[in-house]
Amino acid sequence: MCCARLVLLACVWGICCAAPASAQQVTPDEELPALIDRLQGRLVKIFGAGAGNVQAYSSGVLVSDDGTIVTAQGVYLDGARTVVVLADGTVHTATVMRRDRVLQLAVLKIEAETPHWFDLEADAVARQGDWVIAMSNAFRVADKQEPVSAWLGIVSLPTSIDARLNSRDVAYSGALVLVDSITSNPGAAGGALVSLDGKLVGVIGKIIESSETNTRLNYAVPTDLVRDFVAGKTELAAEDASGNAGTQLPGETGIRLFELGGKSGPAYIDSVVAGSAAEAAGFLPDDLIISVNGEKTGNLRTCATELARLVAGQEAVIVVKRGRELVRLPVTPRATGKRREAGGDQ
Amino acid sequence: MRTGIRCCITSCQTGCLLFAMAFLAMTSLAVSAQELVRPDGLAPKISELQAASRVFRAAVERIRPALVTIESFGGVGTRPGEIGGIRQQGEGNTTGVMLTEDGWIITSTFNFVQRPTAITVITSDGERRLARFHGQDNTRKICLLKIQPDPDRAFAVPELADRADVAAGQWAVVCGVGFGDTTPAISAGIISATGRVGGRAIQTDAKISPACYGGPLVNLQGQLSGICVPMNPQSWSVSAGVEWYDSGIGFAVPVAGNEQLIERLKAGEIVNPAFAGVVIGGTGPKGGVLVGEVVEDGPASKLKISAGTVIVSFDGQPVNSASDFRALLGNFYAGDKVPIGFVLPGADQETSGTIELGTLPEMAKTQQMPGL
Repeated sequence: MCCARLVLLACVWGICCAAPASAQQVTPDEELPALIDRLQGRLVKIFGAGAGNVQAYSSGVLVSDDGTIVTAQGVYLDGARTVVVLADGTVHTATVMRRDRVLQLAVLKIEAETPHWFDLEADAVARQGDWVIAMSNAFRVADKQEPVSAWLGIVSLPTSIDARLNSRDVAYSGALVLVDSITSNPGAAGGALVSLDGKLVGVIGKIIESSETNTRLNYAVPTDLVRDFVAGKTELAAEDASGNAGTQLPGETGIRLFELGGKSGPAYIDSVVAGSAAEAAGFLPDDLIISVNGEKTGNLRTCATELARLVAGQEAVIVVKRGRELVRLPVTPRATGKRREAGGDQ
Repeated sequence: MRTGIRCCITSCQTGCLLFAMAFLAMTSLAVSAQELVRPDGLAPKISELQAASRVFRAAVERIRPALVTIESFGGVGTRPGEIGGIRQQGEGNTTGVMLTEDGWIITSTFNFVQRPTAITVITSDGERRLARFHGQDNTRKICLLKIQPDPDRAFAVPELADRADVAAGQWAVVCGVGFGDTTPAISAGIISATGRVGGRAIQTDAKISPACYGGPLVNLQGQLSGICVPMNPQSWSVSAGVEWYDSGIGFAVPVAGNEQLIERLKAGEIVNPAFAGVVIGGTGPKGGVLVGEVVEDGPASKLKISAGTVIVSFDGQPVNSASDFRALLGNFYAGDKVPIGFVLPGADQETSGTIELGTLPEMAKTQQMPGL
């Protein structure tokens, strides 16, 4: 599928002549070109191994004065040699220092002095509606010493990815910044999302689709997560994401769903087991399950998943549509005697 | 104030056309990179941009109480390729706007492509309510839902932007809850054009996608200028236009000025594009358009129009090309009765008649939602 969308705002030419990152102050009277000009030195172009139709290039941001680079994790880092091109056109061989499967980021190191870099300690404020500049080498438009491209857009929503994506979309959990610039293009991942005061809002993420909309998400991984990753603190977060479900007993409600409508069919109750928790709670055949513990159950598949998550002895609230009424039914599932496998509720 | 240049290339089916359209739709700041950088004064100041952000937020705050989250349950699913640009409709919630204090909600027909078994609506107070599907306008891709009025209070409704005040170049902000957060995601841009698709839609370069279909396009006062819909002037299909999602070509259908239409939809009417039942084969020998084929038992055949007939006028307007005819037809709906002038094969005199426009055969098959 060819669905490349390229939004070029401005491609600014010239050699960056900025002072080191931490010394920068943006004045309100400053114009956008001066800011973009100053940021160019902190962006790099990365070239590596190609694999099938996966692109062999990406973008990266410098985060120290001694050549530390954050970029997107990808197979292009698996080749014999990964090459980094700085804004001044100099070419360096990079070593992959660390990768993170959850954040989909990687840290590279080059042996060079890099006077222009983003200070990860400087927290950028990115509120909804704030303008942000996205900078990357999307589509490998910039050649050799040419500066990367810049886009202007606004923050659509600073949010948490769990709210939008199910597990099949991407191995990523945590906060993200949605933008209305089109960043979901080949080679853009690893680029910078920068606030108008010149601070790094986040690192542009890899191309992913939201299961909510089946459209591509334009987003960046926020700087505080990038900072933790560079400091080696993200493994812990990955463990937390898996949860401690292994110690809990699965609960059984006694609800049997109508399965003949297929997995994408509505979650109608076919029958209620006699003597079950659901019978005691007042569930009836032909009730349409609308939500389980606040999670919308749009079809049979999501409903079965939510019911399987229930824990014995813990009250759950299930909302059903009965005729033209919505009925809220608290139910306390009973133990089935089977122990839940750790992580098996995904 | 201006924001700079946005130019969009979509290499889907419509690459070159899109590029040209997007280019025209921009703020016409077609300047070179060097000019943008130097001399000073030609680029946006940081302070100007920051001021704009504050106004965007204020506009969204004003419309937010009228935003609703729509949940759909079950559905028939869609076949691969049925929805242009995306695999199929996503699993997420969709957006609507409260239109009246007693619970009429306007949204986009795209949100019900999968023909859900049940629809609920979460109003801005967080309450979930059952909704009934009412009428739909398949030419504007809008439809109405109804929830029970709240005896204790009136639902918050938006202020409507005066349609005549909407002009290309004005700021436009769109929002929708489709990404799954209770806070809507927003996008800002400008009005690219008005009067699109037979005068039905406003065009914008704000990013419109399934995340905001059914949601509002507002001006900087937070007034409702239109409802975001997928649209493509070349097709009436419910999902036509999805292929342009996030491309800088987006459409919104105004509510102001469509009061009569809204009343028809409240009554449950299904408004369909007009179908005349002729295939235009070329231009006539002395003006007009030559009918190449006539659909059996279609609206035209009932007037004895046959292959070889030359249509010379429609709705009192002269017809000189197939595109003239299509544009004039686009002003009407199925069921409308329109004066038509034509010359039958072999006749010297023009015949005047009234054609009762029909429904496109493919739309007649897929009428209203089941079970709602």
